[in-house]
Amino acid sequence: MVKEFYQEYEVFSRRRSDLSLEHRFSILAPNLEMAYVLAKENFFRREQIHDLWVVKRSDIRKMTEEEREAFKRLDNKHYRETKGYADLPSKWRKLEAMNTGGEVQ
Amino acid sequence: MVNVASFENLTEQEKYAHFMERINKGEKIEAEDWMPDDYRMNLIKLISMHGISEIMGALPEKEWVPKAPTLHRKLAIMAKVQDEMGHGQLLLRVAEDLMKPLGKNREDIMQDLFTKRLKFHNVFHMPAPTWADAAIIAWLVDGAAILTQTMLLKTSYGPYGRALKRICQEESFHAKHGESLVLALASGTTYQKKMLQEALNRWWESLLVFFGPKSAKVVGHSKVDINIKYKIRSKTNEELRQEFLTKYVPKIKKLGLIIPDETLRFDEEKGEWVYQEPDWKKFKEITKGNGPMTDNRLALRRESYENTKWVREALTHVKDKKILVG
Repeated sequence: MVKEFYQEYEVFSRRRSDLSLEHRFSILAPNLEMAYVLAKENFFRREQIHDLWVVKRSDIRKMTEEEREAFKRLDNKHYRETKGYADLPSKWRKLEAMNTGGEVQ
Repeated sequence: MVNVASFENLTEQEKYAHFMERINKGEKIEAEDWMPDDYRMNLIKLISMHGISEIMGALPEKEWVPKAPTLHRKLAIMAKVQDEMGHGQLLLRVAEDLMKPLGKNREDIMQDLFTKRLKFHNVFHMPAPTWADAAIIAWLVDGAAILTQTMLLKTSYGPYGRALKRICQEESFHAKHGESLVLALASGTTYQKKMLQEALNRWWESLLVFFGPKSAKVVGHSKVDINIKYKIRSKTNEELRQEFLTKYVPKIKKLGLIIPDETLRFDEEKGEWVYQEPDWKKFKEITKGNGPMTDNRLALRRESYENTKWVREALTHVKDKKILVG
């Protein structure tokens, strides 16, 4: 009986309605309702929260160590980010100079 | 850098080399990651002892909940007892995930505690006969624990570090609570001051012992070296004890209390505190499970576990009622 009694649940909360969910920790409970009650008791005795989620750990697909390592190597994505376009102000200056017939180059 | 895309095909030595590379780069290890056996076993030992000490540590303080002198104090010490149980829950979760591949779970931890195979901190084997003991525990035992736990925040084991982050936030309330208690007693009547002094006398040696021996030679075993190699911890027992003395000796004196160690002084040349070595043999006996309150506190824990057994049994018959979202 005891071996299967507890299930693992992961606890997530949202502090304010304009914030994303945050992982708090895991908890052991015999079922989903108890997991919710225990999560509230265990993590939110002080702080106000807007929302609380408990999810059975076995329902979560996590990254493996290999997957985490492989993900790290995906670099050189500057073309997808604003920092890949840092030369824009100097391009504006050049264009302006060109159009006013000033010293080009 | 080893090619981790084919992690499964690596030899044990290559896996170990990759693990050490991660440790030395300051990366955090997660529960399902590959780790050497001695890393896992040391973490289990350290964290299950830490977790169960939080739970056993709530017991001497819980005695004072019904006897607290005011409603405010009662609410505050009750909150602290709840926090300690919560810390125990967090830490036991960390230990349980590490034990899972060994086929062990919470039931094994509880049974190991009851049979004294799993040790808990020396301070929680001691009596807390007066309200001033509750004050000294909250101020100095928690103060000592904060120093250790802050050091451990940077531990190489990710889940332990994350649990400690939360624990340290709540501990800062405990420290204020303790400070408020000692300040009230130290500025009270002659009787209150005497009570505080007597509590300090009772706890002083235990507080020095709290951090553990200077070297393995003193008690015959120590995991400090291996824990430092794997960056589980970053400071030695003695470094933490010195930090504790630097932080608290001046404050204790300011309260008008006398530290029960005539040899205690700061050696300017060496730049460290010199103190009377505690009786390590006596304390080894205590942590083995032969302290003045060990059996009493274990009996309390066992009784509570047995008395709630019917609740656990009843809950096995409850089926999940799905609350659907969206």
